[in-house]
Amino acid sequence: MLKAIRRFFGEKASSQMARQRMQVVLMHDRMDIAPDIMEALKNDIIAVLSRYMEIDKRTIQVDLEQGKNYTALISNVQIKRVYRHSMST
Amino acid sequence: MTGKTIVVTSGKGGVGKTTTVANIGTVLAKKKYSVVMIDADIGLRNLDVVMGLENRIVYNLVDIIEGKCRKQQAMIRDRKLHNLYIIPAAQTREKTSVTPDQMKDLCAELAEEFDYVIIDCPAGIEQGFKNAVAGAQTAIVVTTPEVSAIRDADRVIGLLEAGLLKDIHLIINRLNHRMVKKGDMMSTEDIISLLAVPLLGVVPESEEVVISTNRGTPLVHDRGSKAGVAFQQIAARLNGEDIALDMEQKVTIMDRMKRFIWS
Repeated sequence: MLKAIRRFFGEKASSQMARQRMQVVLMHDRMDIAPDIMEALKNDIIAVLSRYMEIDKRTIQVDLEQGKNYTALISNVQIKRVYRHSMST
Repeated sequence: MTGKTIVVTSGKGGVGKTTTVANIGTVLAKKKYSVVMIDADIGLRNLDVVMGLENRIVYNLVDIIEGKCRKQQAMIRDRKLHNLYIIPAAQTREKTSVTPDQMKDLCAELAEEFDYVIIDCPAGIEQGFKNAVAGAQTAIVVTTPEVSAIRDADRVIGLLEAGLLKDIHLIINRLNHRMVKKGDMMSTEDIISLLAVPLLGVVPESEEVVISTNRGTPLVHDRGSKAGVAFQQIAARLNGEDIALDMEQKVTIMDRMKRFIWS
């Protein structure tokens, strides 16, 4: 009954909390295992961007940012020039 | 004849690997397949007590590998089923007394003679895990609906895939349907969406499991046990039989009323 009242006031079910926490934790764990995957991801991002713009490949940074209940991928890259049309690879 | 080699693993300890091995092995043997179960947990052997065969051990896995006995001498036949054997782990040896290559050779030899070779993997992801996994073509990952077990299962799945073992199946053990309904336990769907591995089956939480291990008789010998039925279905699916996964989502009118009041 107490629980029903707490739910009524917007408390999340513990299973949903567990699920959301695990989504973040597992994402972080999986990224942790493989620096080579990070490197591959970086190269793929460069390849895609290069179809639309000329970028400074040396400046690209790809990082994971851990928030309270999210993980974000943050990438910074300097653009030198944007093409008028996409270049097909 | 080449049999299937299957490793049962979990990362976290105490989620029910040994119980799973004992029950799946027993069901497959009841289906008239020849089955050998290997306890790869060197130093902490348990499959023998779960099967009720602890009094018959003379030789063990390390003895076979070191050539101190023939394979047949270390294999213990089940009390009820004559086509079911276990190879016990050594109790007073180090995990390093076996190498992955030796396990691979042993599993390959056993697969020549048996339809199923089932390996009970130790907890953890160190040497013992590497040994247990080395000779397997298929992996069964056992988890429970708890965050620690799920996280470890995810890590193990990552390691298996990195080791090029791609045939991975999931068993969710000790699911409490009552708690899931109340929203106090992650559901089967939650766990599958997190781990992204095909589901082999769900075993409900049950006191019968403790009772059967007390007796040293696998649960699947009794009729009418829910957890036992779950293991029977799991073994049948593993054997390629087409048995639908029922998620046990029988929603009664009472549930709907409760949910209505709750929301």
